[in-house]
Amino acid sequence: MSAKTQPDPKPILSARDIVNRFGKQEVHDKISLDVLRGEVLGIAGGSGSGKSVLLRTLTGLHRPTSGRVLVGGKPIDTIGPSEKASLMGLLFQQGALFSSLSVAQNVMLPMREHTDLPPEEQERLAALKLELAGLSADTGVKFPAQLSGGMVKRAALARALALDPRILFLDEPTSDLDPLTAGGIDALIAQLNRSLGITVVIVTHDLTTLFTVCSRLAVLVDKKITVGTLDKLMRSDQPWIHEFLHGPRAQGAQTARKHSHGNG
Amino acid sequence: MPRTASAPAAPTIAISGEGDRLTLEGVLDIHTLQEAQKVLKQALKEHRTRSVNLGKLSDLDTPGALFLCGLRDKGVEFTGVRAAHQTLLEFVCGLELKPLRKPKPVPRWRQLVIHLGKGADAAWHDTVDVITFIGRAASALSLGLRHPRSLRLPSISRHIGETGINALPIIGLMAVMISIVIGYQGVAQLRPYGGEDFTINLVAVSMLREMGVLITAIMIAGRSGSAFTAEIGAMKARDEIDALNVMGMDPMELLVVPRVIGLIVTLPLLTFFSDVMGLLGGALISEALLDVSPLQYVERVRQAVSGSDLFVGLFKAPIFGFLIAVIGCMHGLRVGGSADSVGRETTRAVVKAIFVVIILDALFSIFFEKLGL
Repeated sequence: MSAKTQPDPKPILSARDIVNRFGKQEVHDKISLDVLRGEVLGIAGGSGSGKSVLLRTLTGLHRPTSGRVLVGGKPIDTIGPSEKASLMGLLFQQGALFSSLSVAQNVMLPMREHTDLPPEEQERLAALKLELAGLSADTGVKFPAQLSGGMVKRAALARALALDPRILFLDEPTSDLDPLTAGGIDALIAQLNRSLGITVVIVTHDLTTLFTVCSRLAVLVDKKITVGTLDKLMRSDQPWIHEFLHGPRAQGAQTARKHSHGNG
Repeated sequence: MPRTASAPAAPTIAISGEGDRLTLEGVLDIHTLQEAQKVLKQALKEHRTRSVNLGKLSDLDTPGALFLCGLRDKGVEFTGVRAAHQTLLEFVCGLELKPLRKPKPVPRWRQLVIHLGKGADAAWHDTVDVITFIGRAASALSLGLRHPRSLRLPSISRHIGETGINALPIIGLMAVMISIVIGYQGVAQLRPYGGEDFTINLVAVSMLREMGVLITAIMIAGRSGSAFTAEIGAMKARDEIDALNVMGMDPMELLVVPRVIGLIVTLPLLTFFSDVMGLLGGALISEALLDVSPLQYVERVRQAVSGSDLFVGLFKAPIFGFLIAVIGCMHGLRVGGSADSVGRETTRAVVKAIFVVIILDALFSIFFEKLGL
């Protein structure tokens, strides 16, 4: 749900006491985080604050030094690959589309692997996913190298949606995009959350995304995490968070937020 | 929300009801889609179902919604739809879906012609590229030699160390092994004619004239030529070459010339080392198979080989070194934006370098034969 509707307060994913340490360097110190069903959670933080490591931990790609990640009440490392694939989708920052496959083949790959649908049906569904991600069916025959930055993100999003995952993780969905294209991606995320009821976790430092799409924010500062609604965090007196949400760049994003809410 | 997180391991769908009223119960998602399609199509045929109750549907995803949209278009009505499912249905039914475009299949014979044409075109461009690059490298090299101050000595010495000194063990081992192989074959083939003593001549002359330089060049093409491509290619892929250009530095002078000089220096030295090791291997095999003592072996080698044998081998080495380095660097600079092109260019560089070395070696053999050396 977008910022306007109340998400279901039951957590779909919860991380408990996550500690991540690389050699002597500690990145996370006993972080706990709940992702509520149907919400859009934005994870922000400065460069090097461990956003990506947290995302990799939440998706089970990285095993934390200590702590647990539960998805739907189950520890993430006990979830089988097939179940995990229909439980969570991940949009990588660079798309991570397989360069030897066409866009449509990229989207159909998880379906081919995890369902026994006939090829025609898979193609129909691939067309649906591309449409959901805002790409025309003609894009399906293209190869990743032929796509622009924004189209790569959309194609990768279509692939992440292939099995209709319950949680969608987005790693910097608007990075390297011009503001108009980024705005399109923001609108798309909100739309998918509203229409498909999909839970979304966005790692980003794009303030406009955080202000306009996210219903709650988690900010990583000094190995700790602060979670709350935007309004609550706006009143935070933690210096970094204050500077982050009130700095000159944040002003513009605030305007965008009012604008999008006004059009609501 | 439409769906629960703790999905059962195998979601199921049940269809109940009679006549033209059916009820869907359970989960309609990508995994149960086929079953639902089969049953519902059957029911539609038999009873001309007009109404389906979705009230007991716990879970619906986009493939399921797409299927239901198809039914609605055929005039089936849905009753008792949950709010969340209704949103999803409206959304998915509202999308204008076009079928995926498929690339037109090209007939086999045309594929063959296209392939041939492309291959010929690529080979032609490749040849032009190699010749052009050899020219550029030679001009940069001569410029460097005329102005020795512009040469990057630390870089050259690093390349000599990496391509030369670090390669000594493997080159030495290869040379010994090859001379043992030649020795064994020589003894086996010459013995019926009572000429097995000539095995020593065979090993010594073939090592000095051909095998020493050839195996060294092939080894270095695989070891250092590929490393040049990978190093320069990784820089190219990360825009470092463009950065050099923008800062007014010539990649030719900075990256190519030190590598070329490095290999021109090391390949003759390595060849000499490989010659020595090859003769050593010959001594081993003579001792073992022919009962020729090392001292006798040295005497026999002195009679068998002349200075020109050594010269012919060593003369080719710097030329091979130049070509291996130039081909390695050229393919490195050809790397495009994508990460897999580094691997592709490295393979091409090694294949092309070995190919050129062997072709040239054959031409040299004819050339020296005509010269009478």
